Amino acid sequence: MVAGPFGIDPLAWLVLRLLVAVVLALFLILNGALLLIYLERKIQAAMQDRIGPYHVGPFGLLQTLADALKLIAKEDFRAGQTDRAFFIAAPALVFSPMLASFVVLPFGPGIVGADLNIGLLYLAMLGSMGVLGIVIAGWASNNKYSLVGGLRSAGQLISYEVPGILSLVTAVLLVGSLSMVRITEAQPGPFTNVFIIPLAFVTYFIAALAETNRTPFDLPEAESELVAGYLTEYSGMRWGTMLALTEYGNVTVVCSIMTTLWFGGWQGPGIDSGPVTGPLLGLLWFTLKTYTFILVFMWIRATLPRLRIDQLMNLCWKVLIPLALLNLSVTAVLLIAFPGTKLPVAIANWVLLAVFLLGVPMVQQRRLRGIRARMRRDVAGATAAS
Amino acid sequence: MSLDIVGPLLFGLLAVLIVGAGLGVVLADRITTSALLMAFTFLNMAGMFVLLGAETIAAFQILIYVGAITVLILYGVMFTPQAPRAYGLFFQKQTTPGALIAAVAALPVMVVAFAFRDAASGPPRGGDLLPLASSLFTDFAFPFEVASVLLLAAMIGAIVLVKRE
Repeated sequence: MVAGPFGIDPLAWLVLRLLVAVVLALFLILNGALLLIYLERKIQAAMQDRIGPYHVGPFGLLQTLADALKLIAKEDFRAGQTDRAFFIAAPALVFSPMLASFVVLPFGPGIVGADLNIGLLYLAMLGSMGVLGIVIAGWASNNKYSLVGGLRSAGQLISYEVPGILSLVTAVLLVGSLSMVRITEAQPGPFTNVFIIPLAFVTYFIAALAETNRTPFDLPEAESELVAGYLTEYSGMRWGTMLALTEYGNVTVVCSIMTTLWFGGWQGPGIDSGPVTGPLLGLLWFTLKTYTFILVFMWIRATLPRLRIDQLMNLCWKVLIPLALLNLSVTAVLLIAFPGTKLPVAIANWVLLAVFLLGVPMVQQRRLRGIRARMRRDVAGATAAS
Repeated sequence: MSLDIVGPLLFGLLAVLIVGAGLGVVLADRITTSALLMAFTFLNMAGMFVLLGAETIAAFQILIYVGAITVLILYGVMFTPQAPRAYGLFFQKQTTPGALIAAVAALPVMVVAFAFRDAASGPPRGGDLLPLASSLFTDFAFPFEVASVLLLAAMIGAIVLVKRE
């Protein structure tokens, strides 16, 4: 009989380990959501020249905790014509894939729930599962706004999954592994993947914004058109689970993916310093990098207006998918053609990125010129007629 | 108590869940329930693949069937106007022929499955992506390309159908 770690029976250890991982992930999600909502409100307040929450606790730190307690204490309310089973199941269907994603995130050297050799595929798979819960939520609410929100969300998430996964595959080609730990270990130096495949990072960043329903892609819950989209009929902790926990959990997951794939994950100075300080420093670097991206997400939310639905689909199908596909094929060809060096891939990627960044304003200006010329013609025609 | 009984136990549980959910898909009187139960069946199938050591196949199973196909079916259901008739589906009256057809279809599968009962089981090889990918692009390149052409044809067909108006 083989003894597990700490001399525990292996069968018991299997169950115990799972329990510990789930409890830790839950702890992380709950506290992360509290912290992120507080940060979001404070940062938006700072950007809009307000103070933000300041009354509850020092610097308003306990405000989100009070909000969470209010949500938990709320009456368990369900509108009369909603579909009972599906209405209750939907928040769980949205929440559990997000919870499961935390298993493969490499928080530090040796700090990972499970080092799956298909880790990234696993994350992509869980990302696609969340759509199901949102569609069910929209349908079960028996409300036009909810239904339109749910359908919009399904269209948006399925569309933006394509450029997202294509960008992930580009990074995987470079590293040659799907394991999150091995991807991290493959980027020890200061020249992490973002310097080699910046375009894949940009396309993934845009797709990630869309997949987490963040501004400027928060159409499923556009309050000016759809009340609150698929969340309209939800209140209390069901609303809290779907919006607060899941949205901020998903933001954490996609930012962790960006950190791991393009910015070297927990790699940083001092991670080899010792058996205790190394993992702790790794954890620190990982957290700092991830929170930097989360702050950028919040910054974008405070600055950019929301897209229209046709603009959203145009951006995905006419710009991002062709670009990501081109990037993937160019990277694959160059990696096969020049084995051993990543310089050609880097050059091609930077050129493509420059074309993308310069091309978007040029195309936009041409479109605007066309619209202005047409309007001028119409006005001239109207004055000539009168 | 050792780890050896966990595998068969899980297999039994998954088998019962798959068959139960599959029956639910056919017997449920509301199409949304059927769709959700189908997603549940696919999830359990993925569990079966994990049990066989084919995690990659399991991940693709969920990515494609749960994440895309079930959602598209639900999408279709929601765009279909609800008729004023009862929720019951019309083919529910055909339980007996349905069960017969299912039994006939299951027979060859079972015969083939039991033919492999005494075959030596090799080590699970589906866990890694590399052998899967290389066999897909070398030994099975032709079927792979045919499948992609089929998908292309389906996509063009869909576009033509939508553009007709």
